Amino acid sequence: MSAAAVFYLTTLLVYVGVDILAVWSLNLQWGIAGIPNLAWILFQSAGAYTAAVLTLGPSSGNGGFQSYIIGARLPFPLPVLAGGLVAGALAALVGLVVLRRLRGDYQAVVLLVITVTATLLVENFPRFLNGPAGLALIPQPLSSRFASSIGYAWFYVALTAAVCAVVYFLVVRRITGSPLGRALRATRDCDFAAAALGKNIVGLRLFVFVVGGVIAGISGALLVEFITAWSPGGWMYVESLVVFTAIIVGGTGNDFGVMAGALLVPVLFNEITRYIPTFGSPYLVDALQWVVIGGLALLFMWFRPRGLFPERRRTMALGGPGTTVAGPGQAGVEAGRAGASQGSGAGTSTAAGGAGSGL
Amino acid sequence: MTAPAPPPGPAGPPALLEVTGMVKSFGGAPVVNAASCTVANGSITGLIGPNGAGKSTLVALIGGAQRADAGRVCFLGQDITHQPVYRRARAGLTRTFQLSSEFARLTVMENLMTAAQGHAGERFRVLLLGKRSWRQEEARVLDRARGLLQRFGMTAKGNDYAGSLSGGQKRIVEIMRALMSDPQLLVLDEPLAGINPSLARTIESYLMDLNREDGLSMLIVEHELAALERLSDTVVVMASGRVIAEGELSDVLARSEVVNAYIVG
Repeated sequence: MSAAAVFYLTTLLVYVGVDILAVWSLNLQWGIAGIPNLAWILFQSAGAYTAAVLTLGPSSGNGGFQSYIIGARLPFPLPVLAGGLVAGALAALVGLVVLRRLRGDYQAVVLLVITVTATLLVENFPRFLNGPAGLALIPQPLSSRFASSIGYAWFYVALTAAVCAVVYFLVVRRITGSPLGRALRATRDCDFAAAALGKNIVGLRLFVFVVGGVIAGISGALLVEFITAWSPGGWMYVESLVVFTAIIVGGTGNDFGVMAGALLVPVLFNEITRYIPTFGSPYLVDALQWVVIGGLALLFMWFRPRGLFPERRRTMALGGPGTTVAGPGQAGVEAGRAGASQGSGAGTSTAAGGAGSGL
Repeated sequence: MTAPAPPPGPAGPPALLEVTGMVKSFGGAPVVNAASCTVANGSITGLIGPNGAGKSTLVALIGGAQRADAGRVCFLGQDITHQPVYRRARAGLTRTFQLSSEFARLTVMENLMTAAQGHAGERFRVLLLGKRSWRQEEARVLDRARGLLQRFGMTAKGNDYAGSLSGGQKRIVEIMRALMSDPQLLVLDEPLAGINPSLARTIESYLMDLNREDGLSMLIVEHELAALERLSDTVVVMASGRVIAEGELSDVLARSEVVNAYIVG
């Protein structure tokens, strides 16, 4: 395999890892908790910019052609961790505004406004993060320890995979596979009923919004340290829709389904359309990519709304005739059944394992 | 249940819930107007009145889904007027809704297990401690949920999505789910509405059972007066946002103001 092919492959693998982190992040917020976070890309960008300004050093460096705040040169992995923390703090701030009083559609609208406003602010205050030109020449962490760029690229692939594994096993799975995940899914399905059962729905949503924000920030930080540049053109609000489409295609609420969505939509789909020959206007193919991504989301929502790999049903052993009856007394149970049978004639069958009900 | 016992009333059974002078207006029009009522501990209290009387709004005010313009709600002797919905539920005041409110993409079993109060696995520290911190409690909650499924004859539906059930089955899931939250007072908003008569009788018998056998107090909004006649100890009658009568159903239905409210509206 040629060096160019290896570089292409490793770059693609890094993008796969970053996109998997991205879909896990948004899936926690939207697929599990039902928060329509149309500002998702803002949190990835917060992580990317934070890692960038904590890696670049003073803005007077490189001939001072870029202007930005802070300008530190922290050792790896501190910029990546700081990227996650800043994105999480930003998510907490945005969450306090959006999640306390607003519901569904209104949350989506306000989050969309916030992400558009953030892009405009960064573009129009060039001293903040170098305006529309963005930040470039961000040093790749630990690159000086590798003799070849190919070796470094493979190292970065391994690093991204390790971060994915840590995020999945220590965060994503611990939330989605726990009663906490169940409570979040309950708030997604019917928030007022969840509140009426004692769930602090604002607290739950804020928690998962911040956790998702941290993961988004880490994904942005990892990406920027590899591609060495970040600018507002790369984090327009439509970028969030790509991640939404990946989740819709893969299977909303399914950790592994959304991974498949990440492979199919932002990675495979983007790579395939790259090879479409240019025709018409030079920007036509790029524009068509967005049209097709939107069409893909619509098609799936219409014909396969639960995605390729739907959220799995969590079945449990329902117990047999010897199952311990907790709670109120058994006498009441029998009386209730008797009353039910007398009243309706429908009766209920509770033979071994509760085979069927007359309801 | 960890909630304190209700305080003794001046006469008769102790009051579990006391609603005093509740006022709620929408766009300047009073929907609930100085409404007061009590629910005695261990009783089933019916809340009746013609359409638009303000019953569901009063229930929303009691549950905390709506904020009152004025008035006070005391539960177990504590003023809960300004407490959010989830705190009232944690204190033992659980309600069901007029429209189906099942967690549609969760199974029936999961619907029940979600309602368990103070589950260690729902705390944010699960991120740090993992499954060890909640495995045992989950087993206990699962066992309780199994018991409820068996009690209500719904075991066979335990692993079905709640959204796939019939309207009547959803009502039963909502009642089971409310029971999982260890309520002291169950507030039911039209539990028999839109359900075929035979299933309505089944639900009625379950409610009767929960009160007579387990001593569970209930406040039931219901249009079907025959059902309330069988179920309730007392009823509160509302019309035009006001409480116009309170007492045994047969007595209040004999009063002219109640008859007028139903006929005139």
